[in-house]
Formats: sequence, C-alpha cells, structure tokens
Amino acid sequence: MGAVLWLVGVLAVGVAGVYAASAVLSPRGVAGSGPFLSGAWPREHAMSRFHVRWYAVTLVFLAFDMEMVFMYPWAVVVAEVGAMAVVEMFAFLGLLLVGVLYAWREGAFRWA
Amino acid sequence: MDEGTGAAAVSLVVSLAVLAYGAAALDAGLGGARGAAGAPLREAARLLVQGRRRTLVPDTLLVRTGTVLLPLAALLAATVLPAGDRPVLDSGVGIVWFNAMEVCVWGALWLVGWGVNSVYPLIGGYRFLAQGLSYELPHMFALITVALGAGSLRIADVVAAQREVWFVVWMPVAFVVYLVSALAMAFWGPMGEPVGRNVAGGVPAELSGADRLVFAAGRYALLVVVAAAAVPLFLGGGAGPVLPGWAWTAVKTVAVLGGLVLVGQRVPAVRMDRFTEFAWVVLIPLTLLQTLVVAIVVLP
Amino acid sequence: MGVREWLLRQAALRPRPLVVGCPYGTRARLLVEAEADRRGWVAAAAPAEAGLLVVCGAAGSEIGQAVEVVWEAVPAPRVLVEAASDASAGAVRRALDDAVAELAAGGLDGGARHGDAGRPVAMAGRGRDRDGLTLDRLHVPLGPVLADWPAGLVVETVLQGDVIQEAVVRAASAGADGVSFWDPPRRDETDRDETDRDETERREAARCLDSLGRLLAVAGWPGAAREARRLRDRLLAGAAPAGLRRDCERFARRVRRSRVLRWMLRGVGPVEGRAGVPERLRGDALDRAYGWLDTLPSPLPDDPAPATQNGGSRHDGDPGGAGACGGGQRVDRVVGADGADGVVLGLLAGLLVGAESAVARLIVASLDPDLDRLPASAAVRRG
Repeated sequence: MGAVLWLVGVLAVGVAGVYAASAVLSPRGVAGSGPFLSGAWPREHAMSRFHVRWYAVTLVFLAFDMEMVFMYPWAVVVAEVGAMAVVEMFAFLGLLLVGVLYAWREGAFRWA
Repeated sequence: MDEGTGAAAVSLVVSLAVLAYGAAALDAGLGGARGAAGAPLREAARLLVQGRRRTLVPDTLLVRTGTVLLPLAALLAATVLPAGDRPVLDSGVGIVWFNAMEVCVWGALWLVGWGVNSVYPLIGGYRFLAQGLSYELPHMFALITVALGAGSLRIADVVAAQREVWFVVWMPVAFVVYLVSALAMAFWGPMGEPVGRNVAGGVPAELSGADRLVFAAGRYALLVVVAAAAVPLFLGGGAGPVLPGWAWTAVKTVAVLGGLVLVGQRVPAVRMDRFTEFAWVVLIPLTLLQTLVVAIVVLP
Repeated sequence: MGVREWLLRQAALRPRPLVVGCPYGTRARLLVEAEADRRGWVAAAAPAEAGLLVVCGAAGSEIGQAVEVVWEAVPAPRVLVEAASDASAGAVRRALDDAVAELAAGGLDGGARHGDAGRPVAMAGRGRDRDGLTLDRLHVPLGPVLADWPAGLVVETVLQGDVIQEAVVRAASAGADGVSFWDPPRRDETDRDETDRDETERREAARCLDSLGRLLAVAGWPGAAREARRLRDRLLAGAAPAGLRRDCERFARRVRRSRVLRWMLRGVGPVEGRAGVPERLRGDALDRAYGWLDTLPSPLPDDPAPATQNGGSRHDGDPGGAGACGGGQRVDRVVGADGADGVVLGLLAGLLVGAESAVARLIVASLDPDLDRLPASAAVRRG
C-alpha cells in the first residue's frame, strides 16, 4: 500500500508541475469567455436537467450490476462448490435475461 | 515498501509514461502528421504556453477534480498489473480493483462535462454515461470469465493459470468483448463519441492549457492501461520463449496498444443509440454463454 | 527567459486552426485545408483548443459577429487569419507562414479578458418534450462557426437533453455576392465542348469528395475523411488521372466495405421520393454517401491512354486550375441546376426535429447544402 501512496504522490507532483509550468509559461491572467456556441452568446446556463432518454436502460443496468457483485466471489468458489453453483448462478442469470428480453420487447434499448 | 515493490513502482511510472507517449506519437503519425515522433512533445509545449481560460460561471472544482481523476484512475488501475516481474499492488482482489478504478472514469468525464457549463461538454459527458451502460456489463462478464478460469481474482494467479493454454484460446469471445470495452473505457476511436468532433470535441471542448494537457495525458494513460491489462488477463502475461518475462509483457502490450490505436483511425464512430441494443441483446448473452462454457470446463 | 520562447517556437510549428467557412469562401477554404494538411496540422473543433482562427471568404455582418465571439474564446497565443475569397494558393501559404511567425513570437497576448461582463444569462426554462414531460430547454444554434459544417448555414435549435425539439433553418447573410465555387465557369452556351463537360464532371466529383470528407469527419472516421479531402485536392489540382482514378476507386471500395458505417448511417435522415425532390437526395444518409461515391472517377479498362491534361499552366495545387479527369458516371446536367440545395434547406428542419446531436450532424452532412447556389433571398424554415 505504501508503494501505491508513493505512486499517487508522484502523480500529484507531476500534475502540480504541469500547472506550475503553465502558470509560469502561459500569458498572465485567466481569459473569460462564453461557452462555444457556434459564435452565439448563451441564453441560459448549460447546467440543466438533462433529458436522459436511456433512463430505462439505467434501471436494467442496476439490476445486473448488483448481481455482478455476487458473481466475483462466485467465480472463485465454483470449482470447490461444484455443479450446484453453476446451476444456481445461471438460473438466476436466466431470470435476469428474461427481464432484458422484456425490456428489449418494450423498446427500452431503442431510445433514440 | 520493500525493494522489489519500489522497483515495480518506478518501472510502472516509466513504462506508463513511455507507452503513453508512444501511443500519442503513433496516433499522430497515423493521423498524417509529419515528424510524428516529436508531435506529442510539440503539443505539450503548445498547451504549456497556451493561456488559461474559463467559461461563464464554471464549477472549477468539479472540472479540476474530473480532469485530475482521469490520470489518477489510470494509474491506480495499473497498480495491479505486473510491471516488470511483479505488480505494485499484489492484491487478492486485483481484478475487482482494476474494474473499480476504471469505473471512476465515468465520474471523471461527467464532472468535467457538467462543470464547465457549456452544452457540448455536457452532451459529451452524458454520452459517456450511455456508453458506460452499454459496455460495462459485457466487460464485467469478460473479467468474471477470466477469474472463473483461474479460480482466483488475483492477477498473478490468472497469469499462472495460463501456463498451459492462454485464456485467449479458450475464451475468444471474452477477449474480443474485452477489446471492445477497452476502446469504450478509454473513449478511444470508434468509441470516442464522448469526445467526438461532431460535438466540438465533447467533454474537453472548453479546456485549454494545463487542463487540456492533463486530460489528454490521462486519456492516453488510460488507453495504455486497458491495453496492458489484456496481456495478463488473456495473453499469458510474460509467458513466451527465449525472451525474459518482462520483455514478453512489453512486446504483447505494445502489440495490443498498437492495434487499438490503429483501430482508432480505421473504424467510424459507434453511436450508443444503436450500440446499446447490440450490447444488451447480442454481447451480454454471448459473454454469458462464454462464462457458462468456462464454468462447465472448470467443474471438477 | 529562453524557455518560453523556445516552447512558443515549438508550439507554433503545429498550431491547431479553427477554419470558418463564409459564403463564397469555398475556394479559400479548400486552399487553407490543403495547406494545413500539407503542414500536418490537425484542425480544431472548438476555440479552446485552437491557436489559429482562419476565416475563409468575406464574413459579412452576421458571421463577422459570430467570429468575434469565437475569437474572444480562443486562448492566447492566437492569430486571426483572413483568407480572401479570391486568394491564391501562394497568398494562403504566405498568410499561414506569417501566422506561424506571429505565434512563435507570442501571438496576440490577450491578457485578462472579461468577456462575460454585463451579458445576462438565465437558468434554463422548461417546456414539454415529445413524450409529454416538462423538461429544461437550451437554445443552441448550430453554425455559422462550426467545424465540418456547410458555410453560412445556421440552424437555431431548442434542445432537451441532446434531442432537438425545435429547429429553424436559415442562411446567414453573405458579405459579398458571388457564384458557387462548385459551378464551374462556363464559356458561351454555343461554344460548349468536351472540355467543359470534363470540367463539370471534375468539379462535381471534387464536390462529392468534399461532402464525403465532411460526412466521414462527422461520422467519426478521421482516416477516411482525410483521404477524401486529399483526393479532392488532387482532383482539383488536375493530378495525373490514371493514378488518381485508381486511388478514387480504392477509396470508394474502402468506404463501401465498412460495416460500421453502414450500421450507423442506415435509416439516418430519410428523404422520401416526392415530386420536386431530386433523385440524389432520396433515401437515407448511407444512400446519399454511396451516391457520392458513384460520381467519383473510376479506372477505364478499355481506355489505356491516360486522359490528356490540357495546358501546363497548373500552378501549385490551385483549385481554380484546369485539368481533365472525367467522372465514371456521366454527369450531363448542369451542376446545381436541379435546385437540390434549396430543397435541402426546406427539408432540413423537418428532418432535424426529434434527432439527437450526433444524428443531426450526420443528417446535415449527408445533405450538405451549398448555400452559395441559393438565390439571394435566403429562405427561413421552421420545424
């Protein structure tokens, strides 16, 4: 773990070095400008409630993602536990895939 | 830290820097620049003398956090990969660690995209989230297949398990899926829509100077790390005749990295409104099938 | 101090130009793009990454204002280059040389600029979306200053997320009068001969390559986009037809072979075959791209003698230079006479509403209207 901290330290020094060099070498001051809008000035701030059209996909994703957490330890013990572990896991995955199939039929993955 | 770990840490930093520079130079060369070997240096010089700028009421803290998080995530993900003859962090859950660090990129890109208060970076940031929802599950199934084949989440065990047969031989689907998700993780080439030209450069569109330099370096570091991870996971790590282990690791890493950079110039961008369906309906069942095959093989 | 000067000199060798196309500035844009490519410069897509702002043609008041706003956003060291519509290749080269020298000397140090003083910006307002949800709306104009975008085109959009809810399509006012670069200068109608026809075909093929370059760039395929633009420049320079025909064919084959391109362009921006809609606009973005590929010169197996080049007055890649390189497919109509560019402007708003950002760019690039061919009174379309 000490080596990892050392690496993070090296990166911190490196990034600080880049910013310091930039501060010395670049023109003084920070130029203010509008965001790029093809040459127009913005009428409203871009930070807004974004219309996330793939909302349904996020929900299906969450279901699977929770499942993944169980799959990591499962992968380690399959050889010990034997066939039952495989059957149980893939029965569970099969159920989830039925959910995916339903979501697909409902057009959740065609969000454009 | 003991001497071996220290050497691994130094070798990790050096090889990451060298490979990231090489990838940038190769990309510049393929992109038609003459004098490509010096192109990344010139670009770095250009960004160092370039003036700093800020858009209208940005959230600077978020932007800086996201920008620095990019190289940090790449570096931390790399700690579990063998640099030289051993990894810096010989963790028993190395694969999970790699996965966790790589997911930090989701946050990094979204923070930058949101924080600069400009519409194109905002769209880029959300594009990456949609991309994450598409590539992440096939990617994780590919990683789990590897762990299943080795019976361990420790990367050194994964390498040891490939002494007889490389995983790429009997897990070809997982390998291909891994490469696709590697492109997506590093938002590179065909998976580069979050930084696409059609949204004026996307997430980093409003970054200049040091910010842009750190962002670009982080992206190349990320590309190197995802390419390097393919070697211990699928390509037998340092295994090979004649040459020492570290040399084989280097050769294989350069080959995978070169392939990813080449694909970046050769393949059009993939939009998530079409890829999402493909990922969920084709890639996920396919990788699960691969996992099932491997699970049956490893049964006693 | 020496380090900064050295770094500035290094940086000036590879500046990133943001190229702004103005009405009747096509010729200048082509010269600038060719020269930038020759120098190995990578084009910028946004002012923040640019060091050079290159305005091609006469900006006029509206685009001039847009250029001013964008110029404000370019970080120092920066140089503004204006390439006149009738600039020669030599003049463009000199202008870029001067710009490099100026950048190496530190460019225009803007110092601390405070562009945001005094201009109010509101939080996003809300409106109903296509699914009946009430969501934040952003007003985002596309053009006139945008990479890989038709010169002078402006699409005022209202976005929710990255989906276009409303679109108003119009042409920015031109700063000068002129004719489209893609309509070749013709001699007297009674005096038309084979050379004129070859010239028409050559221009048409070059125009298709220019559009393909744009479409492929927007489609995120930089390698193919660069190849299209290089072929375009060679075609306009009247380079040796035999080799060029072969290269064009190889390029066309490469683009047609791409499955990912097919996957991504199929069904994008469908135009129905109604009366008044020219044949070449019909179908989806992929059909239109393949249609462009069809107009490229192809090798002539039954014609071993290379087409004669007329005249030796070919000066350093000037796109105005004459050269013979006929199309594989005979183009008998006068280019632009089918009024396609005006029709596109009418169709565009309807196609863009409901499209997301990437698809919208693909739709525009696949139709690629040449606004220089429109009658002086520019149309405004709402959708």
